[in-house]
Amino acid sequence: MKDDRTKRPVRAPWPAWEMTLAALVVAAGFWSTTLSPYYLSLDQIFGSTRFFIIPGLLALGLAMVVSLGEIDISLASTVAVGTVALSKLSMLGVPIGFAAAAAVAIGALLGTLNGVLVARFGLPSLAVTLGAMGAYRGLAFIIGSEVGYTGFDASYRWLGKTRLFDGIVPVSLLAFAVMAVAVWLLMHRTVFGRYCFSIGLNRDASWFAGVNVVKIKICAYALASALAGLAAVVWVGQYGSARGDNADGSILFVVTAVVLGGMDINGGRGTISGVVLALLLLGTIRNGMGLANIGGPTQTVVLGFLLVGGVLRPAFAAALARLRRPENADV
Amino acid sequence: MPDKGQLDWPETGPLAVLRLEGICKAFGPVHALEDVTFDVLPGRVHGLVGENGAGKSTLVQIVTGLAQPDSGRVLLAGQPVRFRTPIEARAAGVAAVYQDPKLFPHMSVAENIALGAYPTLPIGVINRKAMHTTAAELLRRLGSDIDPRALVAGLSYAEHQFVEIARALSADVRVLILDEPTSALTPAEAERLFGVVRTLRDRGTAIILISHRLEEITAVCDDITVLRDRRHVATMPAAEVDRASLVQMMVGRPLETLFTRRATPALGEETLRVETLSLAGVFADVSFSVRAGEIVGMGGLVGAGRSEIAQTLFGVTPPSSGRVFLRGREVHPRSPGQMLAQGLAYLPEDRDRDGLIMPETITHNITLPIVRTLARWSFVDSARERRLAEDASATYRVLTPSVEQIVSSLSGGNRQKVAFAKWLTNDPAALILDEPTHGIDIGSKAQVHEMIAQLAGEGLAVLLISSDLPELIAMSDRILVIAEGALVGEFSHAEATQEKVMMAAAQQGARARP
Amino acid sequence: MSASDEAAVADRKGSRPLIAFVLRLREAGVLVFLAALGTLFAVLTHTFLTTQNLTTVASSAAILAIAACAQAVVLLTRNLDVSVGSMMGFAAYLTADFAANHPAVAPWQLVLIPLAIGAALGAINGLLVAYGKVPALIATLGTMSLYRGLTYVYAHGREVTSSRLPPWMLTSVDARIAGVPLLVAAAIAIVLAVWVFLQYFPWGRRIYAVGSNPLAAFYFGLRAERVVLLAYVLCGVLCGAAGLLYAARVGTVTVVLASGWEMSSLAAAVIGGVSVSGGAGSVIGAALGAVVLATIDNGLVLLAVPEFWRMFIQGVAIVAAVAADAVIASGIRASLRTRGAR
Repeated sequence: MKDDRTKRPVRAPWPAWEMTLAALVVAAGFWSTTLSPYYLSLDQIFGSTRFFIIPGLLALGLAMVVSLGEIDISLASTVAVGTVALSKLSMLGVPIGFAAAAAVAIGALLGTLNGVLVARFGLPSLAVTLGAMGAYRGLAFIIGSEVGYTGFDASYRWLGKTRLFDGIVPVSLLAFAVMAVAVWLLMHRTVFGRYCFSIGLNRDASWFAGVNVVKIKICAYALASALAGLAAVVWVGQYGSARGDNADGSILFVVTAVVLGGMDINGGRGTISGVVLALLLLGTIRNGMGLANIGGPTQTVVLGFLLVGGVLRPAFAAALARLRRPENADV
Repeated sequence: MPDKGQLDWPETGPLAVLRLEGICKAFGPVHALEDVTFDVLPGRVHGLVGENGAGKSTLVQIVTGLAQPDSGRVLLAGQPVRFRTPIEARAAGVAAVYQDPKLFPHMSVAENIALGAYPTLPIGVINRKAMHTTAAELLRRLGSDIDPRALVAGLSYAEHQFVEIARALSADVRVLILDEPTSALTPAEAERLFGVVRTLRDRGTAIILISHRLEEITAVCDDITVLRDRRHVATMPAAEVDRASLVQMMVGRPLETLFTRRATPALGEETLRVETLSLAGVFADVSFSVRAGEIVGMGGLVGAGRSEIAQTLFGVTPPSSGRVFLRGREVHPRSPGQMLAQGLAYLPEDRDRDGLIMPETITHNITLPIVRTLARWSFVDSARERRLAEDASATYRVLTPSVEQIVSSLSGGNRQKVAFAKWLTNDPAALILDEPTHGIDIGSKAQVHEMIAQLAGEGLAVLLISSDLPELIAMSDRILVIAEGALVGEFSHAEATQEKVMMAAAQQGARARP
Repeated sequence: MSASDEAAVADRKGSRPLIAFVLRLREAGVLVFLAALGTLFAVLTHTFLTTQNLTTVASSAAILAIAACAQAVVLLTRNLDVSVGSMMGFAAYLTADFAANHPAVAPWQLVLIPLAIGAALGAINGLLVAYGKVPALIATLGTMSLYRGLTYVYAHGREVTSSRLPPWMLTSVDARIAGVPLLVAAAIAIVLAVWVFLQYFPWGRRIYAVGSNPLAAFYFGLRAERVVLLAYVLCGVLCGAAGLLYAARVGTVTVVLASGWEMSSLAAAVIGGVSVSGGAGSVIGAALGAVVLATIDNGLVLLAVPEFWRMFIQGVAIVAAVAADAVIASGIRASLRTRGAR
């Protein structure tokens, strides 16, 4: 893995993969039109964005964590903590502005906890967030009990439910777009993003260069979970309900999007635009499969294949490159 | 002197137990060994010497089956062999003991010894009793009383070394390779080790000894092979060579002509002062100072604690006691970021691992320590960043078509120049260089030396750590010698000679480490 | 050279004998914890220490113990398998379906089916991780959904009810050998067999070696890929066995059987002292960890604490166990570092 990263003479042509993804999105769109005459309507297409907005927000956050060479699989559980917290705030009649801020803050807090355990105490992120996944899910049930809550005030549902411009463009899509641009800027234009990718490529060298590795990691975890808090607000609006098992199992979609989007799971490589394109692709495929009446389980199988294929892609590419240049094939 | 590698042996010459013929090996575009040929005779201790990067470790990897040669043959007792794994090599009687312990900490001593070839009972169950007796027997032969049932995690470093040797002996070993076996042993432990080596030799085993300590090589070895710049230089009986000519063969040029001495420097204020700096278990009570414009060399054997002292000053591992002053103000090293901000820079010894981010561009590497200052509202001004990188790479003469080049595609010398550019864009007051010419070609080496002299001329305080004695002596205004974690000697430029520095460095029993 | 290593550098000298001691005592620590937990519940409730209740605890611990054992084998190699629950469900459903359609098949033949299925699924995981170089979490996260999804696709919304299963399957789990439920006896036998394999056979020792120090394994010449593949296959086989026993115990086999068990198995293994950084711990510890979890479950029921507290406790327990393990592991790393030199 390391070797094929270091042998590249100039900056890697990552956009190539993004172009492929974009082409695949178009292809998937065409495929969808063959499935249902209803596909080609603005209403349908914008409506289908609900398939990826919530996991999309999580994927943006996960991409930050993955750029560091770490992982956070507790994000879906953080969403559940957020939704049940919103249900409690709704019961108390707290205005949505405060409630949404509280949900984001709760997310950031849980993320900070993960970040401290991983960065400050050097625990393996995989095990920590796996534990946190269970603990936060349990916490969501403890806060919300087993009974779901559906009595949300209309104001709570605005972000997730409303569609602007004659009821076509969902507000949540706009929110996602804003977040995507913000995360893109953060990761590709700011000092923070530069540090993240540096740490992902070589943690020790970054530290020797004066980068505060611990602080950057904790920040990335906190930001990722804050986005999960925002996703909880969208969830409440979209589904109008809150329960401890919200978003259970959606981490698969999220990880698949990040990996398929070209983020190197070992850290240091990848782009946010790739992740967004992968989300569009997965959303389109899922929407298409829905139109074709393909059941949830089959969709899960497809997702699983895409995930494994996504991670094997660099290995395949390396193998192909080796076949093409047999003189360099050592071992 | 014979240059084809065969020993000039009288008519009754024994058959070489190990023969290397025209071994070539490249890792990607980088050549590690080029056409190396020599013989190792049974019942002899064969020293293998060469500077860092001369190709010694690649040679060991090839002989033990960790790597395959691109061309050339390895012959064991006249038969060509090609080992796919060290297990196969061990079964054929070729085993290596490495400098760093390569043991399994969670397993017992006996298991670490037996792992490759467990004695088994009928249905394949491990015969623990046999395993323990064998291990105990092997350890006893080495004069060690380690309990075979003890976990490796609880052993001392020397004990690790003995367990490794016992493992190597567990098969019927014909060629035993010891790679820097004494670098972290006490004199008594090292003497015991060489006792074992002599016993093995007298039983007919061939031993290849790799060591930086030339006095060790000349004292213990019967034959010596010198490698330089990945090529074989000479193989000869140890009696025919003295230390000085050995060094010359390793370095490959007359020593005097190599470095040009700069004019007597004009020294400024005291920039870096260190008082009784200690790191528990690693070094103790180190005090020295460096003035502006001064180059202070730090010599010593590999593992003496020089890099650790430097890294402690740079905040990598905070000291357990002692005080550090920069430009007269006391600083408390806690992290590299903080020390950089205080005006201290450190070029790490392992440049490719700690000094640079290899898969990144030259620009991003150069600006990483200062990228924060190039940002407005935390957005990086990439035009300014590129301009700065271009200026810096011109100043430090990095040969590259573009600053967007990936660092790993550059040569070692160019990488080192990028590293210089990276640390100096921050305008530090003091600079610590840890083996700055390690593994780079002669031409770049001279440029690096010139660069160091120039920086000092501009008023930078330089602490130069180097294992390259001629370099150290030529470059430094003063030389500090570290042995076993303590400052054991100081020489002015005028009084320093290789012999004096070496003697001080090899001084044993200083043992500052508790 | 991270911040977390610093403390280890500082006290590496004195702690060495202590580390060796702790390594030896992993299982004993779990036993002490279990005893304390039992005492706590015995004091808080009247019903905990009854034979019937203890049998219930043992029975519910039995299958989890096998799953934890499966997880432990993979953890020992410094990897992880989150497809444990899916493999159990896949093997259990296909076997139950087969049994329902072929009532005449002999028990010993039927037992082989889940084991073979498990081996195949485990081999896929192993190939992805060992030869495809895919990080274990990602690979098994993918196969987790793959195996579960395939089970759904195969089942087409049906389930295998207990009335369609061969009667011997259902009665045998309730049978008792000298007062011990067959289920518990089977679990003990399986865990002991795996323990003997890992402890007394060369291939078992290689599993430990690869996880203990991958670099040393490389220099030693061990083919780590084969060892990791073996560990995943063994994990799959154990999941097959656990799936079959689970199917027999619950009677009605649905497609969601054993979902969420990846978490429980991992929790049991790390609570039982199996290190996520490889090479340390034993399957007996993992099995004891399963007993701890079953005891906590049982105690929570007896104390009428809502069930979802379990999820919380399990998650916190994983983090706590991992933190404890990291302290030990940093000591081990320090003991491997060359004195002075790098």
